[in-house]
Amino acid sequence: MRLEGRKALVTGAASGIGAAVRKRLQADGAQVFATDIHQSGDLIVADLTDADHIEELAAKVGTPDFVINVAGGPVAPTRKNTLPDMPKGALVLEDIDELQWAAVIAANLTSAFLVCRQFAPRMKARKSGRIVNFASIAARRGSDRVGVHYAAAKGGIIALTKTLALELGPFGITVNAIAPGFIATPRIEQSGWGRSSPQAHRAFLEAIPLRRAGKPDDIAGVVAMLCSEAGGYVSGATIDVNGGLYFGP
Amino acid sequence: MKTAVVTGAAKPESIGHEVAVRLQKEGMQVVVLDLYEEGFSSLPGCRCVKCDVSDPGEVGKAFDSIKQVDVLVNCVGGSWEITRDDLRAGPRRGFRGLTNCSLEDWNAIRGANLDSVFYCCRAAAPLLKKQGGAVVNVSSVAARKGIPPGAEGSSGPYAVAKAGVMGLTRQLALELGSAGVRVNCVAPGVIASGRLKKVQAITPQGAGPEGPLKQIPMGRVGTVAETAALIVALCSDDTSYLTGVTIDVNGASYAA
Repeated sequence: MRLEGRKALVTGAASGIGAAVRKRLQADGAQVFATDIHQSGDLIVADLTDADHIEELAAKVGTPDFVINVAGGPVAPTRKNTLPDMPKGALVLEDIDELQWAAVIAANLTSAFLVCRQFAPRMKARKSGRIVNFASIAARRGSDRVGVHYAAAKGGIIALTKTLALELGPFGITVNAIAPGFIATPRIEQSGWGRSSPQAHRAFLEAIPLRRAGKPDDIAGVVAMLCSEAGGYVSGATIDVNGGLYFGP
Repeated sequence: MKTAVVTGAAKPESIGHEVAVRLQKEGMQVVVLDLYEEGFSSLPGCRCVKCDVSDPGEVGKAFDSIKQVDVLVNCVGGSWEITRDDLRAGPRRGFRGLTNCSLEDWNAIRGANLDSVFYCCRAAAPLLKKQGGAVVNVSSVAARKGIPPGAEGSSGPYAVAKAGVMGLTRQLALELGSAGVRVNCVAPGVIASGRLKKVQAITPQGAGPEGPLKQIPMGRVGTVAETAALIVALCSDDTSYLTGVTIDVNGASYAA
């Protein structure tokens, strides 16, 4: 197996994309440390907006070969409400108060910054490593749905990715981002996004060149690619995985 | 059994050569289209067809004998050793930008790097659409940032043609997506291919298309193996939801 003997940290691993990434890297032979904000199975519980939590996480994980920052989403969880409902409709500017803004920026952007800051020095010491961050089509194309806080946080992820690629490149560490399009995760399916009516759903899928929504495994495959020989010289890139809905810059 | 067509695979130490070898290892029947006959013996098991892919007539003839295409990888390209006449000539000396290249250069370089991709995709499309599949094109970091005046071994027309390859990739992704054909592209930076070695042998360090190594954050050039592995991944189910995308593989030297 191609990742035998390697160690990976996957955040946001309780469900959806994070769970698929965890499963895939395990199937490829890696030892995977999986974390989320709420208890589920054998996950390590950590609030990634809290540097102390991440330090505790690092004590358990050690030095990973791969850090996969999946944690995030358009609605920020809290330690009390770990699975908040997705918004029913489009979020417009006036809907978003300062607390929501700060919480979504923290859950999506600050978390990736803190995790990278914690683990990059360990990778630098070993002169190797791969970091995969999660952006979104909301940052690439803009979004009429998820709210400006989420799009801005994911835009921040792209800039953080490029900057860390420059900073960590001399240490043999690659840093890339994946920008998923519409991925039919259980939470997205529950929210009814893209399914307001059968006609709307059909039109929505017709607008995607590959004529289907993405699956969490579609994203996990790209993570596996970036962790393999194929990702050895790819760094600073944001890879759009959206069935052709938006091609990137 | 799946069939892959790979153009520009006959030269030793080329990205295309490594792609052909790896796709064969994945269990595919590989058909190679290339002018460089001397290299055919280095691809045992592949069906090698002598073909100038910048000539639509020759491409049409080559595809007459191909009954199935699951994968098409367009690797032919470069600024020299691309036509029948200069196939073994080595790198051209001097900087060739858009304002000082000959019309012959422009046509030959565009023909090898862009027209060839159009001809091969057009010929393969009906076969790809039958059962779905994947196309991978090879662009270049030159399409992102151009070739700096003074640099040898590459050219201005090359940068323009490779930008065209990115546009072609997007257009074909739209046209073939509903048939289950994915079309993607890689844009390599400086890769330690046989061709780079030939440039390095005749230019002072830092004067080739790669520029000074310190401009590459990863502090090294890429390998043919890494680049080929990425291309093969773009032919696989790992990238089943990617289409129309260009992946930059350049050691963080240019983030699009």
